[in-house]
Amino acid sequence: MVSKQTGKTKTSEQTPAVSRLKYKRGDLIIKEGDYGISIYQIIRGRVGLFTESEGTETHLATLGPGEIIGEMTFFSGSSNPRTASARALEDCELEALHPARLSKEYAEMPRMLKYIIDQEFKRIVRMNRVITELDIKKTRKRQLEQKNPWALYRKFYRKEVDFDCVYRPLNTPQRVVLEGRIKDISKGGLRLDISAENMSHFSHQLGDIFFISAFLPTGEHLGVTAELASLVKSRTEEPLSLGMTFVRITEQTNKTLGFFLMP
Amino acid sequence: MSGVSNLVYEYVLSEENYSEAAMIIEEGSHGDSIYVVLKGQVKIQKKTPKGTVAIDTLEEGDVFGEMVFLMKEKTRTASVVANGPVLVGILDSERLAREWESVSPHLRRVTTLMAKKLRDATIKAIALAKG
Repeated sequence: MVSKQTGKTKTSEQTPAVSRLKYKRGDLIIKEGDYGISIYQIIRGRVGLFTESEGTETHLATLGPGEIIGEMTFFSGSSNPRTASARALEDCELEALHPARLSKEYAEMPRMLKYIIDQEFKRIVRMNRVITELDIKKTRKRQLEQKNPWALYRKFYRKEVDFDCVYRPLNTPQRVVLEGRIKDISKGGLRLDISAENMSHFSHQLGDIFFISAFLPTGEHLGVTAELASLVKSRTEEPLSLGMTFVRITEQTNKTLGFFLMP
Repeated sequence: MSGVSNLVYEYVLSEENYSEAAMIIEEGSHGDSIYVVLKGQVKIQKKTPKGTVAIDTLEEGDVFGEMVFLMKEKTRTASVVANGPVLVGILDSERLAREWESVSPHLRRVTTLMAKKLRDATIKAIALAKG
């Protein structure tokens, strides 16, 4: 149950508010790493909790009226820095709680309850760390995808096909010719399914350049130079899906492909 | 030698043995027992649309099943599964409830809101891991 009572209606039984504070949208209420013992109850507005790590800001939670911020330091002992920052997401009104009184009450709390609450606190810290790490990983992945030409190629119209091809790596002195099956093709690239066995003949690394040779269902020859931009292992182990983006394509082949892709 | 303190043992009413992979608490079920790991390890798991996710591993001295108590939840918020053979203690929840009632409503509320943050953080972590 959320208490909606204001300071005026509070009885002496409840913790008296030391002060009412107003924050404008965007204001920082608590800064991660700072030392402070204040605990605030949100009266009005929404507050965002976040951490900053390796230049990435991770949003942990959004809190609203009735909820409390700053209690983590209280439970961890005030000698520890703030574990997260709190910022006003809109104009906010907060009530600072009485830290001395809370501390006294906490000191009088039965030891076993403190034992349980202390574990609870440590689990939140751990969980927030997990969130931060996952968020950073996700941001990195997004940045990588933006640089990846494969993502760009996927934006072209793709025609689903199914025909054999041979391909050979160009950036290696090794002389290997491998077989695969082209599963879809566009003006920018193609998807090539290969057996896992191919991997044992040549390590397919992202960025490797291949020459791909095939006959389109129309009977015309297709010869393109392409870069390996993605490699997806399917759940059933075989086949492997290679995402290839064209790096060199002759005008003639381009034209042939253009006609082939026409609906 | 066990890493469990005497304080914890004061509250242990009975002990239960579980074999590897046995389910001690099932998410969504009813129940208000609070447990402590006395020997071995347990895994905390949560169901998601994309399958079960392990959230955390708890060791000797760690309490679980406390969310029902701290947050007055009606059902279990996560499953707890034995990670290898494990010995757990069942805590005196009546005594804990009595002690909990003796805490000022104010501090109780602060604690409950913290427990809620743990639940929300867990949900968020799972969404990030699975999303």
